[in-house]
Amino acid sequence: MKKAYILVIILLGLVFSLAVGRSILQNMLSTSGIFIGKAEKEINFYKTQNAILSEELLIASALTNIIEKAHKSGFVSGDALMVIKTSRPLAVRP
Amino acid sequence: MKWRYPFVFSFLVLLFVLIISRLFYWQIVKAEMLSELALSQYRGLIKVLPKRGEIKTSDGFPIATSKVTYQLFINPTEIKNKDQTVLALSSLLDITKASVSALLLPDRLWVPIKSGIAAQKKEEIEKMQIPGVGFEEQYTRFYPEASAAAHLVGFVAGDGTGVKGYVGIEGFYERLLKGKERYSVELRDSLGRPIISSRTSLNNGSDGGNLFLSLDRSVQFLVEQKLKIGIEKYEALGGMIGIMDPQTGNIIAMASSPAFSPAEYWKYDESLYKNPFITNTYEPGSTLKPIIMASAIDAGIITPQTKCNICEGPVSVSGYELHTWNDKYYKDTNMIGVIQHSDNIGMVFVALKLGVDRMIEYLTKFGIGKLTDIDLQGEIAPSFKPRSAWYDVDLATTGFGQGISITPIELLTAFSALANEGKIMKPRVVTAFENANGEIHKIPTKVTSTPLTSKTARVMTEILVNAVEKGEAQWTKLKGYRIAGKTGTASIPVKGHYDPNSTITSFIGFAPAEKPKFIMLVILNKPTTSIYAADTAAPMFFDIAADLLSYYGIPPNE
Repeated sequence: MKKAYILVIILLGLVFSLAVGRSILQNMLSTSGIFIGKAEKEINFYKTQNAILSEELLIASALTNIIEKAHKSGFVSGDALMVIKTSRPLAVRP
Repeated sequence: MKWRYPFVFSFLVLLFVLIISRLFYWQIVKAEMLSELALSQYRGLIKVLPKRGEIKTSDGFPIATSKVTYQLFINPTEIKNKDQTVLALSSLLDITKASVSALLLPDRLWVPIKSGIAAQKKEEIEKMQIPGVGFEEQYTRFYPEASAAAHLVGFVAGDGTGVKGYVGIEGFYERLLKGKERYSVELRDSLGRPIISSRTSLNNGSDGGNLFLSLDRSVQFLVEQKLKIGIEKYEALGGMIGIMDPQTGNIIAMASSPAFSPAEYWKYDESLYKNPFITNTYEPGSTLKPIIMASAIDAGIITPQTKCNICEGPVSVSGYELHTWNDKYYKDTNMIGVIQHSDNIGMVFVALKLGVDRMIEYLTKFGIGKLTDIDLQGEIAPSFKPRSAWYDVDLATTGFGQGISITPIELLTAFSALANEGKIMKPRVVTAFENANGEIHKIPTKVTSTPLTSKTARVMTEILVNAVEKGEAQWTKLKGYRIAGKTGTASIPVKGHYDPNSTITSFIGFAPAEKPKFIMLVILNKPTTSIYAADTAAPMFFDIAADLLSYYGIPPNE
């Protein structure tokens, strides 16, 4: 009788501890979303900054830009610049 | 009192029946809807847009790439002060108040206002903390060199289902560049925060692949600059230049004017989108003479020393009187002299000796009348008229490049046989492709045909060197270099006759003549300072050739 009582206690204890363990684990998983969200936000921020810097780098190293700067500094004549950037050519749609 | 027991019992049974019915309704009948509702609360479907591949020039510089921009959207139900919001957005985004206001209907939850907003501008708007305003990240095509090589690169535009490449490389390699959308599912906690361990991918999407071009950015830039100067100097309507490596078929530069800006393609007339170098047809005039002459030499019908016995004056063919371009005639001139003087009558002599069948056979071998299969979208190739429709006069005029229409790329490719020991390489712009995993696949070069023997090609090259040294364009030739080339002043057919006042002038040639590094075709459309190629296209050719020889570090050999 006493053995059965101990067995029941052990089983109840096991059920209880598993339930608590499960709750802790679930809680950890669900709250990790906060950190994940923060981390993802930070990653996105750096991604954006990286993209902006890449764009600036490409613009700075474009021959179009280099020749424009060289022209402003008096190294080449204005005729050298031929790409369409802002002004529109004669052929633009009216 | 006895009735109470059955009454309570019946009541409880009824209650149970009701509960079970309700449970049946929710658990069985509405089960699917409820599970979908539950899924929508904790599961999110994420669409990851692929990044379109880059197009890189031979030095690895991305001439077309994608940059991160933002789409501004508004949830009208969250707006607190509509007038203030409209005013702020219209001034920040440079759009009219009316167009913003018209979109803000109260029954809509998500209204896109403007796309392509730069990151700096987005940060500026975010700082204002306007209620109801949000941003969605997107990729926008970005061309760091602005309109440079616009016709070659093409552009990207929305087609209703997403973005799509049009014309040029963007159009031809659309499938490789666009990539594949990715979808993944993530579970969220009760506050909508993502649980990373549960994210699963639904398909194998990937970013677009990168393309490596044979295009040399510096040469392209130089050519566009020289083209602009040439068009202005010779007061032409437009022009184009193509440069190819005859040994590989690699396109080193290809420029046309007028052009357009790929980033703002919608501001330009649609007719400007086409690359005239592969879509415009014209009568090549004298630039076709070396091909006809080489065919006749290759067929063993003539030699460079063969004398023209009809060159003493105009000739009549099928009732049409044919003249030289300047009405000067050279009695008993040989084939070297025919090319040197660009003698139409001499070419009539050659063409009539060649005959229609061999003319068609050789032109076909040179790739005239069929697509070159260059990897650019939009190439056309006018086909020959049927054999039965060829008359003697057609044969005669084809000899000096009239009555036959070709595209500039056809001529450049055909002519490359003279610079490559008689072999024609398939012209190409893309030399390698890099997939999303970083694996690079090189595209092999391909010989499309061998219309001439190497001996004939060498003989013809010498004839062309002589034409440069002693021909009409000798005044502009480069001292110290042996360059093979030929001028071409093509008449423009208008309403059944040729326009006497306007021409298409061109010069085609390669250098150095012994081991050509490049072959170049310069075309000017209706120059007005002079209608002759020797005064317009030829000096442009030699001006660019001088810079190219210096760029490639090739010293003079004389």
